[in-house]
Amino acid sequence: MITRRAALGLPFALAATPAFADTGAPPPICMVMNSGDATISVIDMTTRQIIATQPTFREPSHWALTPDRQTLYVSDAGGNALFAFDPQTGAPKGHAPIADPYQLGYSPDAKYLVVNALRLNHVDVYDTASLALVKRFQAGKMPSHLDFSPDSRWCFSSQQESDTLFSFDMTTLTPRWTVPIGHTPAGVLWLNGKLIVCIMGENGIVEVDPVDGHITRRQKTGPGAHNVFLDSKNQILYVSNRAVGHTSLAALDPVTLEVKRVYPIDGGPDDIGIAPDGKIWIALRFNEEVAVMDPQTGDYETIQVGRSPHGIYLSTILSRQGRITAETI
Amino acid sequence: MLHSLDQFFSILAGYMDEYTVVPVLYHFHWMEWDELSFDWCLVCMYGLFAVIVTYAICWPLEHFFPIERWDNKSAVLVDVFYTFLNRVGVIPVITFLLFYQAQTCFTGWVVDLGYIPPTLDSLIPGLFGHPILTFWLYALLLDGADYWRHRLSHSFRAWYALHALHHAQRQMSFWSDDRNHIFDDFISFAWFFIIGLAIGIPPLQFPLLMLGLRFIESFSHANIRVNFGPLEWLVVSPRFHRLHHALRAAGRGSFNYAGVFSLWDVIFRTADFSPLYLPTGDAKAPEALATGSYLAQQICGAKMFFASLAKTFGLTGRKPA
Repeated sequence: MITRRAALGLPFALAATPAFADTGAPPPICMVMNSGDATISVIDMTTRQIIATQPTFREPSHWALTPDRQTLYVSDAGGNALFAFDPQTGAPKGHAPIADPYQLGYSPDAKYLVVNALRLNHVDVYDTASLALVKRFQAGKMPSHLDFSPDSRWCFSSQQESDTLFSFDMTTLTPRWTVPIGHTPAGVLWLNGKLIVCIMGENGIVEVDPVDGHITRRQKTGPGAHNVFLDSKNQILYVSNRAVGHTSLAALDPVTLEVKRVYPIDGGPDDIGIAPDGKIWIALRFNEEVAVMDPQTGDYETIQVGRSPHGIYLSTILSRQGRITAETI
Repeated sequence: MLHSLDQFFSILAGYMDEYTVVPVLYHFHWMEWDELSFDWCLVCMYGLFAVIVTYAICWPLEHFFPIERWDNKSAVLVDVFYTFLNRVGVIPVITFLLFYQAQTCFTGWVVDLGYIPPTLDSLIPGLFGHPILTFWLYALLLDGADYWRHRLSHSFRAWYALHALHHAQRQMSFWSDDRNHIFDDFISFAWFFIIGLAIGIPPLQFPLLMLGLRFIESFSHANIRVNFGPLEWLVVSPRFHRLHHALRAAGRGSFNYAGVFSLWDVIFRTADFSPLYLPTGDAKAPEALATGSYLAQQICGAKMFFASLAKTFGLTGRKPA
């Protein structure tokens, strides 16, 4: 493990660990959104070397794959733009003006792209094909993360400063409810007919009934629970915790929500991705690094990227069937 | 080298954020600011670095090549306090927090009208993907905007009542750059917010370049007998800026308003390249503004500001003759 403390005094060195077969196809890539650098690091997942650095305007943070899987959109809130990339190669495909896009996601029926505009307190609904604004909700302060019900009836958005969870009806585009949820809610994930919401100002997650928004369960995961991810086999729920000294990634049983293991990870883990070899790629916000962790041992190596790495996309996710989101990895 | 230095400060800022700021945010349920706290820590780290570097360069120069020698430097101590308040991020963070909601509401309103604030690199073809060039263009334009903010602050009586605090210093040194009334700082913040709506925020990934620009502003106030020769037509030197702080230039009808690029004074015909090192200060300013404590200066400046406003709007309370 290379820690930040070691990085202060030691030159960075990382041995490449081949983990993917050479098929002649473009190498699998990891794209890391460096919010503090206005860049996206494109990493060859095989060699773990940065092969390109793509510019954005100001502050790339999160990603969404278009339903046809042809374009990867990266949000740039400070630059008021969505940047488009080839999801296989990371090659740029242009950008579109969008007001303050932070976290974003396509509805499961592929009809809408919903964007949380954190700075402007908007939850914006755009038409998928035209990117035309269809509806704007002012549902609270600092809209943070969002998810949908699988039938595309409902959308849920955490309001970070208001301490609330907001839901609106996707068919009528009208508000359903807003409920207090805990201090500084962040990550939102639909799971087994319920919602999991990270409560960043507290020490864990809550399970919420999507019908009326009442809290059905609470589970401690660690201080500063920020975002939540479900592995592709629906076997492990991961929660990144990034407050108070030693930050960590918690692995939970997705049914019982019992914490199975906590991986201490220095440097503020944020978004994560899981590679086909089982390694977990983790953006470390405070460290300018991506950690590649073996979940069996908890050991990890790091790859140096830009300042404040935030969202992380692994192109290997394209081999999966069905809908792809940044939180179901 | 520069990249390593940049990375070193990022790592220190990361430590500061993770082990001091985030725990405080967490404890007080302020985690909604967690996204920004790293940036604040970077500002703080770079600010401290800037103070150290500025001191290391300017102090020996002021010691060996001074324009004036002072027996009592107590007035300079207050400027040191101003510098730390501003450079390590206290005033910028307070200003940001005070105006955050207003800024959000106003920007949201503008966006609701269908206007999406652009960036220079989205407006100018070919600029995107050249962040350093973009940075310099922003630096030039924002300095131009600051030229006009500064020039207007000398044009309106009430505004100058605030700005007089900056001019009142008779012992002008490299510490004097941040010596401003807090209301004046608020106006600057609002000014650049409006500019930001028009041309976007500059790229913030080059803190060392930003420090370089701030260094020029500090250096231009230094008590050093130096000029930049022909380069003075482009960059503000201590001699050039000292002319702006001279007794005869206080108040209205001043000159040499530029902060970094003297080019703006040349373009707008307010440049004075006289080869003189004149005494500084504002003869009309109350003594409290020149030698008072921080609080005394702030209170005096506020009183002058409100009195000037009242006079402007005929609210002085005096009965008509």
